[in-house]
Amino acid sequence: MEPLLKVEALDMSFGGVQALSEVSFSALAGRITAVIGPNGAGKTTAINCISGVYRPQGGRVLFGGQAITGLAPHVLARQGLTRTFQNLQVFTNLTVLENVMVGLHGVTGKGFVSAMLRLPGQRAEERRIRARALEALTFLGLAARAGLPAGQLSYGDRKRVELARALVARPKLVLLDEPVAGLNPAETEEMGRVLLEVRRQGVGLLLVEHDMSLVMRVSDQVVVLHFGRQIAQGDPQAIQRHPEVLRTYLGCQDQPPPGVEPAIALEAAHA
Amino acid sequence: MNGGRAFLWQLLALAAAVVLAPLLVGNPYHLNVLNVMALNVLVVTGLNLLIGFAGHISLGHAAFYGLGAYVSGILSSTHGWDPWLSSLAAALVVALVALVIGIPTLRLAGNYLVMATLGFNLIVTILILQLDEFTGGPSGFSGIPPLKVLGRSLASDQQFYWLVWGAALLGLLLARNLADSRVGRGLKALHDSPVAAAAVGVPTAAYKVKVFVLSAVYASLAGSLYAHYFGIVTPKTFDIFFSVELVTMCLVGGMGSLWGGFFGAAFLTPLPQVLHVFDEYKDVFFGGILLVLLIYQPQGLAGLWTRHARARAARSA
Amino acid sequence: MSGWEQLSQYIMSGLTTGSIYALAALGFCLIYNATHIVNFAQGDFISLGGLMMYTLLGAAGLPALLALPLAVAVVAGLGVVLEAAAVGRAKSREITVLIFITVAASVLFRGVFKEVWGKQALAVPPLSPDVPLKLLGATFTPQNLWILGITLAAIAVLIYFFNHTLTGRAVRAVAINPKAAALMGIDTRRMVRLSFALAGALGALAGAIITPITTASYNVGVLMGLKGFAAAVLGGYGNFLGAIVGGLSLGLLESLGAGALSSTYKDVIAFVVLLLVLFVRPRGLLGGGEETRV
Repeated sequence: MEPLLKVEALDMSFGGVQALSEVSFSALAGRITAVIGPNGAGKTTAINCISGVYRPQGGRVLFGGQAITGLAPHVLARQGLTRTFQNLQVFTNLTVLENVMVGLHGVTGKGFVSAMLRLPGQRAEERRIRARALEALTFLGLAARAGLPAGQLSYGDRKRVELARALVARPKLVLLDEPVAGLNPAETEEMGRVLLEVRRQGVGLLLVEHDMSLVMRVSDQVVVLHFGRQIAQGDPQAIQRHPEVLRTYLGCQDQPPPGVEPAIALEAAHA
Repeated sequence: MNGGRAFLWQLLALAAAVVLAPLLVGNPYHLNVLNVMALNVLVVTGLNLLIGFAGHISLGHAAFYGLGAYVSGILSSTHGWDPWLSSLAAALVVALVALVIGIPTLRLAGNYLVMATLGFNLIVTILILQLDEFTGGPSGFSGIPPLKVLGRSLASDQQFYWLVWGAALLGLLLARNLADSRVGRGLKALHDSPVAAAAVGVPTAAYKVKVFVLSAVYASLAGSLYAHYFGIVTPKTFDIFFSVELVTMCLVGGMGSLWGGFFGAAFLTPLPQVLHVFDEYKDVFFGGILLVLLIYQPQGLAGLWTRHARARAARSA
Repeated sequence: MSGWEQLSQYIMSGLTTGSIYALAALGFCLIYNATHIVNFAQGDFISLGGLMMYTLLGAAGLPALLALPLAVAVVAGLGVVLEAAAVGRAKSREITVLIFITVAASVLFRGVFKEVWGKQALAVPPLSPDVPLKLLGATFTPQNLWILGITLAAIAVLIYFFNHTLTGRAVRAVAINPKAAALMGIDTRRMVRLSFALAGALGALAGAIITPITTASYNVGVLMGLKGFAAAVLGGYGNFLGAIVGGLSLGLLESLGAGALSSTYKDVIAFVVLLLVLFVRPRGLLGGGEETRV
């Protein structure tokens, strides 16, 4: 099967620090691909390069066979590639429902003039947007909070609002930057179920995550980054036995690289 | 930015007040003040769309107002165009100018728009003063014909009152419609988090430019109305200090709140005109009010109101 | 007058006004680096510098050696007041709000100056008696030399201050990273206040040395301040060397442009330059580009 997303030899550096060098990996449609690696491995940078926030200095990104390198984020959203953020980016001045309604921006089209004049087509579109957004909120169990300002939500609920916003337009691929960071075990468990359900509906997910048990439970494929290099890609079982991955996480031969969280190393060791 | 049903009721209340006011205000001079107030409401409503939605401030709205006035004035008197047509042409010119300023500056992060519009306003003022062959120079441009509706000239304060307040109400309604729509949500979203808005398909740079152009067109139309009402325009009316005054009206009322902008204009327009003694201390007064408000009450008068409303809601809950 | 003489005349007057723009631009830079806001009251610092010189030198008859430092001290004090009573006291930390606090302060200052000194133009005596001098065909007054000399001296003092004193380095540290500076035990608030004082002092200096040529009035500095702002943008906003280069080039451009074309549009040049820089190269002549991280 031709992968939905192909990342080829991405290069990116910030003021002399090489955040990504020659990173390549791919993600399949309707599957969950996880990108893991110690802090500073370049995971978020990779997501930012794919989603158009950064323009990579080298390499290219293919989405559905088309080169999308350097395209603006809003163009990618229209092509079915959306994302969530590690540091939450909920629109705090909008209500929960409005947040998710904005998620449909890329797949709807009424502009300034029809909005100001309230033309009939615009009213119909507004109704469709509202209905679909409510549907997405119901799917994530947030329907009861639809009218609240998003700024008043708890951290866990904000994460779900972001997910609903990224999913509501039924994209082909969603990039999730640490979807369970900061969630308690019960919420993490619930999020894992949601991700699998989204996968079942045919949406591809590319997630960056530190929580190894979640990664091993939900992923079809795992990509390992280390100091800006891709060191392995494979299914979860293969990754757990991969010698270089073990060396990276456990530091069997070398000193553990700075920034490796012991918990992750332990988790990886026990898995 | 306000949206929702409550706004429509409030707008209806304002419309009723507009209808009743002429019964109480017999004095044509006071009617004149009300007319200027409506013009300011129109400009401030447009400016508020920019401030509330894009989070950018323009110090060039007096220049857009002035261009609307001068272009329409010159086309209709020197070239004999129909005043309605010349107003439209002026709006087009202003939209184009705003596009040229907005495209390069609004794609950058930071306060480049303030700087560019500031420079632009200064240029426009100097050009109006220097191109006296076309503009009449410092003494102004006169002999501008009034607008006509159904063959009747709208020359009196009374007739113009209905036109300009109608325009102000319509301006508020259209702005509210925009706020409560797909585009409006996209704009509010990009104000909250530009990256997240872009990630769901909001063309952030294009939207900022469009809302800037729209807000400049509001100012231009108000300027054209001004020109055809007074029949004469002078450069001082449109200088950088009037731009500051317009922003003051927005900020006093409450940044990005449509009603805030309305109250800012309604409160600050009549002050210098009603109190003649006050004219001397205008700068001290304007600067002082704005300074105190910005330091202690940055949400403006509208912020006071929402806080009050929230406190009331909390008590009754 | 020969072409060369005319040219050197233009260059002389360009450098004179350019010095004033450079001083104003440096003031903009100082406050921008400390707080990331544009201080629109910078022009009023210039006005007050001139007005103080009128009062101290002209009306009170103090010697220049006493009047100049006094005027500088008063305006530096106003800079501190602007920070302590307004910018630093604001509830909101939003940049737009802070910028408009300086706009409001500027309007207020201008109103107060108008009440105190009136609206008329006030003659300020030059720092030394007017005798026409001639150099390379250009005619000028000792005041021109004072302007160039004092500007150079001010720049030299600033360079020494920022590179060789502990306090100067602390101000720079706060500009680069306020949090880290605070963690190192630097009183950031004091450094910000110091930047306002320095910006006020530079404005006062500019006003004090230019008003013997232009006359002083409640709003004489407004246009100079705005042009200083254009100069700062031209040089690269927040860049010290850029402020000096931007100021001098703008002064030269204005005087040569007015000479070559027409003096009618002299005042437009600065703002056309401002727009062009913003459109084509917003980081200015000497500003570096940097990637913003999300």
